[in-house]
Amino acid sequence: MPKPLNSSQIFLQGLWNDNPVLRQILGICSTLAVTNLLVNTLVMNAGLIFTVAMSSLTVSILRNYTPMKIRMMAQTLIIASYVIIVDIAISAYLPDISEALGPYVGLIITNCIVMGRCEAFAMKNRPWPSFLDGLAMSLGYAAVLLIIAVIREPLGFGTLLGHQIMPDGFTPWTIMIMAPGAFFTLGLFVWFLRAKFPQTAGEKKQGH
Amino acid sequence: MKKRLYSIAFMFVLTFFFAAVVSAVKVHNEERIQTNQQVKLQRIILRVLGVSVDEKAPNREVIQAFERRVKPIEEKGQTLYVGYSEDGRSITGYAFPVGGAGFWGPVYGMVSVDPEASRILGIAFYRHSETPGLGARITETWFTKQFTGLSLFPVEGDKKIFYLKPAGPGKGPNELDAITGATGTSRAVEAFVNRDLDRFLRETWKHVKKG
Repeated sequence: MPKPLNSSQIFLQGLWNDNPVLRQILGICSTLAVTNLLVNTLVMNAGLIFTVAMSSLTVSILRNYTPMKIRMMAQTLIIASYVIIVDIAISAYLPDISEALGPYVGLIITNCIVMGRCEAFAMKNRPWPSFLDGLAMSLGYAAVLLIIAVIREPLGFGTLLGHQIMPDGFTPWTIMIMAPGAFFTLGLFVWFLRAKFPQTAGEKKQGH
Repeated sequence: MKKRLYSIAFMFVLTFFFAAVVSAVKVHNEERIQTNQQVKLQRIILRVLGVSVDEKAPNREVIQAFERRVKPIEEKGQTLYVGYSEDGRSITGYAFPVGGAGFWGPVYGMVSVDPEASRILGIAFYRHSETPGLGARITETWFTKQFTGLSLFPVEGDKKIFYLKPAGPGKGPNELDAITGATGTSRAVEAFVNRDLDRFLRETWKHVKKG
């Protein structure tokens, strides 16, 4: 069994080396869906960070009592509970954003990062490292979403966090608001980072 | 066998625990969520009836203004919101919901007509899943304000009360600008707003007029 990671290694993994969006290409659906407005992205990020961190923590606490055969069912139940709590909180305190995010808060349940971390990390590690891993991975996801939103909102709406930042004569690029704009932005971004900082053997070979 | 029973018991306890937690959170916030939705609708009704309420006004103020200026009535199964003037003596208009299938999902809106049901006072769309920047522009003022003053008597020979046409010069009095790049949404809005206005005029209005 490999040596357990310490906290800074866990964060390095989540934010960079094993970043869920950049390296694992997980959680793409919501990355595409919620990044056309920065404020939506921020709320979505907060929801995901809470869900992943708390689910990983809970799954890890229960890992020695959970029968292997029904662990997926148990994980789904735990994740779904946290997601519903997030959904209720957003619709109670941020009703406008809740409308704007529509089904995507509920769809955090199906975000591969959440269950992926429960299965890959929390089932094998102690609660505290699991919590940190959930935090690190979701922060890695959040960072990528923020960067994409900061590109998409100014180009698509001419604004950032609702404030006009583009010059008056600027024509908004409608495509940046829609899914294709997100595909282009994400694709170019992942390509750029992977070409600049190759990690796998295949990426390195192409780089040289 | 023992293992299986343990699995069932484990899942049962886990489900019970989380269901309890989620229910508690839900019950705790239920009232706030309902107030949010109610106030949102009240804001829309006040807006289409031409009662200006500051967008940042707290919920309490909106509820007060609504109670003072608007009285909901049931007429033939349709809810009508009757708008009253500041002194409460005369009726300023009638608001009622409009809605139907948009391009991506259902669109909900509110429209108001003057006390003679001859013109539209205002329209607003408050829930939809149209594309941001395209179909979602139905919520923007330039689009909704075109409806203000629109005559409810169809122009001779026209089947519909109004038409949404591509933006351009040379328009008839019942031709409004559609949204460029959102033909689907524009068509859908044209269809269901005409349908709901027509239904109001044919079915509900007769009863309102009689009192």
